[in-house]
Amino acid sequence: MSNLPKSALECRDVTVKFGDVTALSGVSVAFAAGQIHAVVGQNGAGKTTFARVTAGLVSPTTGAVDVMGREIRTGHVGESRAAGVELVHQSFALPPSFTVAEAMEFGATGKGGIYSRKGLAAKWRAHLAGLDVQVDLNRRIRDLPIETQQGIEIARALVTDARVLILDEPTAVLSPTGIEMLFARVRRLKERGVTVILILHKIREVLGIADSVTVLRGGRKVEGPLDIAEVSAERLANLIVGDAVAKTLGPQDRSALVGTSTASGEEAARPDRVGGPAVLSMRSVSTRADGEGIALDGIDLEIRPGEIVGIAGVEGNGQKTLVRAISALADLSDGTIGLAGHDVTAQPLATRRAVGLRIIPFERNVEGLSLTSSLWQNWSARELLQGSLLKVIRPAAIREACDRSLKQWSVHYHSCGQRAGSLSGGNAQKVIFAREVDAEAKLIIAAQPTRGLDIGATAFVWQALRQARDRGAAILLISSDLDELFDISDRVVVMLSGRINGEFRAPFDIASVGAAMTGAAARAHA
Amino acid sequence: MKDSLNTVVRSLIFVALALALCAVVFQFAGYNAPVMLWAVLDGAFLRSGAIEQSLRWALPLFITAVGVSISFRAGFFNIGAQGQFYVGAICAAFAAEVFKGGPALLVIPALLISGMAGGALWALWPGLLRLRSGTDEVITTLMGNFLAGLLLVYVTSGPLKDPSGSGQQASSRPLDAAYRLSNSLGLSPTIIAIAVIVGIAIWLLVNRTAFGVLASLAGRNGTMVEWQGARLWKLGLSSFLISGALAGLAGTIEFMGPNGRIASGFLPAHGFTAILIALVANLSVVGTAVASIFFGGLASAALYLPIMAGLPAAAIDIINAAIALFITARSKLIDKVLRLGGPAQ
Repeated sequence: MSNLPKSALECRDVTVKFGDVTALSGVSVAFAAGQIHAVVGQNGAGKTTFARVTAGLVSPTTGAVDVMGREIRTGHVGESRAAGVELVHQSFALPPSFTVAEAMEFGATGKGGIYSRKGLAAKWRAHLAGLDVQVDLNRRIRDLPIETQQGIEIARALVTDARVLILDEPTAVLSPTGIEMLFARVRRLKERGVTVILILHKIREVLGIADSVTVLRGGRKVEGPLDIAEVSAERLANLIVGDAVAKTLGPQDRSALVGTSTASGEEAARPDRVGGPAVLSMRSVSTRADGEGIALDGIDLEIRPGEIVGIAGVEGNGQKTLVRAISALADLSDGTIGLAGHDVTAQPLATRRAVGLRIIPFERNVEGLSLTSSLWQNWSARELLQGSLLKVIRPAAIREACDRSLKQWSVHYHSCGQRAGSLSGGNAQKVIFAREVDAEAKLIIAAQPTRGLDIGATAFVWQALRQARDRGAAILLISSDLDELFDISDRVVVMLSGRINGEFRAPFDIASVGAAMTGAAARAHA
Repeated sequence: MKDSLNTVVRSLIFVALALALCAVVFQFAGYNAPVMLWAVLDGAFLRSGAIEQSLRWALPLFITAVGVSISFRAGFFNIGAQGQFYVGAICAAFAAEVFKGGPALLVIPALLISGMAGGALWALWPGLLRLRSGTDEVITTLMGNFLAGLLLVYVTSGPLKDPSGSGQQASSRPLDAAYRLSNSLGLSPTIIAIAVIVGIAIWLLVNRTAFGVLASLAGRNGTMVEWQGARLWKLGLSSFLISGALAGLAGTIEFMGPNGRIASGFLPAHGFTAILIALVANLSVVGTAVASIFFGGLASAALYLPIMAGLPAAAIDIINAAIALFITARSKLIDKVLRLGGPAQ
């Protein structure tokens, strides 16, 4: 009847329940063909579930999915792929030990058989070149920069004639420059007629790339698809966080949460707050290579009481090694580490903790908590380690103290005896804060403290870090979210390849920090 | 306390299921299942003297089993209790030769300590290998069981050989009656006292010291405890040593009590039954006590079955195996059944 462009992908009244949790609730949305669509929302809004439903990885409890006007069987990856829908995951799924050509061959087709390296390389060279992925096909995936890995992921997804490409939080792992490269790549895909759905987090990115935007919150669709020309950053921010929450947040925090700002940060730290001798002083610290991450190479870093120092950098540039070095979990080959006036270079972690080191580690569920142990055991571990192993304890007293502490940190829980794994991410992080942020804390390392947390918990974490700083603690914040770093850091230090590649003070300029993250600044000076 | 008892009760339900399964099997094999089950119950607990007989088996099993639970709690699957049990008995037997003639009040503690040291030694090397170079302790402790078994054959037919023994089973010279902990029935106030002391000491260690909490955290997530500043090898090695020492102590009790000597290949299933007990009890000390009495009863009934139900004593092995099977499947099954049937959390 009509020749109106069909929608490339349409979800009709999709609801997804995992047990008692409703991840998506009655979401209906149609994406026009040949455009770039953004789906935005905070953590826990249901974005990833949405992507997984359309890709056939999750079977919706109710509802249907149409591709190019034809209903597909939901919950079957093969069916979705046959219909032309491909998903690139948030965390890449390429086998690290494969060469590029092998990853393309087996990732794309999943078939075995005899092959020669040359043959494979020849087979895939043209395809990758056609998508502007410049890479030696015989290099191994693990040796490639993250931007290239992502390019290969996208190329792999486009081997079969994909008509709808879904990218789940593709910008989360990229530097600002990498994001520009990705967006250029996405625009070229659009020119080739591919419908691209980008799951995004930041309004700045949405406004920079998308033709339409759909907002999810708490598993429901709030609005969308809205024409990008008709929506302001301000309106989008309120849609994402919700009016009620928006009122409780300061303008700085709100813009940091949704990523609207391009330059931000408080005025330079107040002089009366920052003062006294450095709490942490690292002098030309280098570490031995140990297979757990890139080694540090001559790090000089000082943090004073009452100061939050943010570490920016593309993931995998030595941030984790930095935390491990300060925590005596990586071997130093050179340099000294001073902590609260003591030279702790040769001291184990227990001694460092005794003089005031506290760690909120990267992996909340592995390094931070024992999920199958009770809350009180998790909560008391730090103190129990300060005495003799045979020190007599009274579990009842510890439980009471734990109760008091967890209430103070407004953790939602039933009893101190429940397993740590039964808490939500935000509450689990609060338990770690309850353990690590005490009056004796001198240096608090907060490594990706808000990753995976919803708005409320994120704001809580920021507030807790600021309060600790105002009490005079020194804070080392590692984050891959520049908006977060700019919002709460007094100073931002950029790490690149195990070295410090620039230091910035508020107001921060995203462009120059981004350049330092990718080494553009270093190259420009050289 | 209540939780751990609940766990044991739940475990015993699975044990009952295992028994029911065995009953079906035996019925089909041509035996009379009701008679068999009755014989197990009667032989374990009802007939006169059965309780004493069950305790005789239960107490050494309990001591080994709480030791096993200590290393399991700390996350080490030390399945070498059998070898540690043997080496403990061997060391005590050697010590008995050395201290022969001394006053009982000194010799008895010396033998007990030697036995514990022997068991600890047999847990030390797998522990060091594991903590220093990451060698899988399942392999090393299992291997240690075979080595200890062969060592037992060697000492009973070599250095400690009893020349008057019949050729049937090589065994050591008998322990001087003055140093015996019990007569051949195997139950005495001393043995009961040792078991009670071990039970209380380990309960306190697990529930009332920093070690207990930290070892349990380390067992469930070593990385987390490392980030808290713990030295894992310290927690791990002490757990290995404690579990080895207790298995060695049980071996020494068997040597100084009911057996009065060590014989090649004696009580070959002791260590494995103890592992089963620790698992049935879900590693709780109180639960281990309850489960030990149950398994002690089975061991006692094993001797009684052939007479009562005309079953071969090997039937008890089948029952044990079935229990092991059900207990291993337990956690998953319970999770499934309870989650589907129970109210949502």
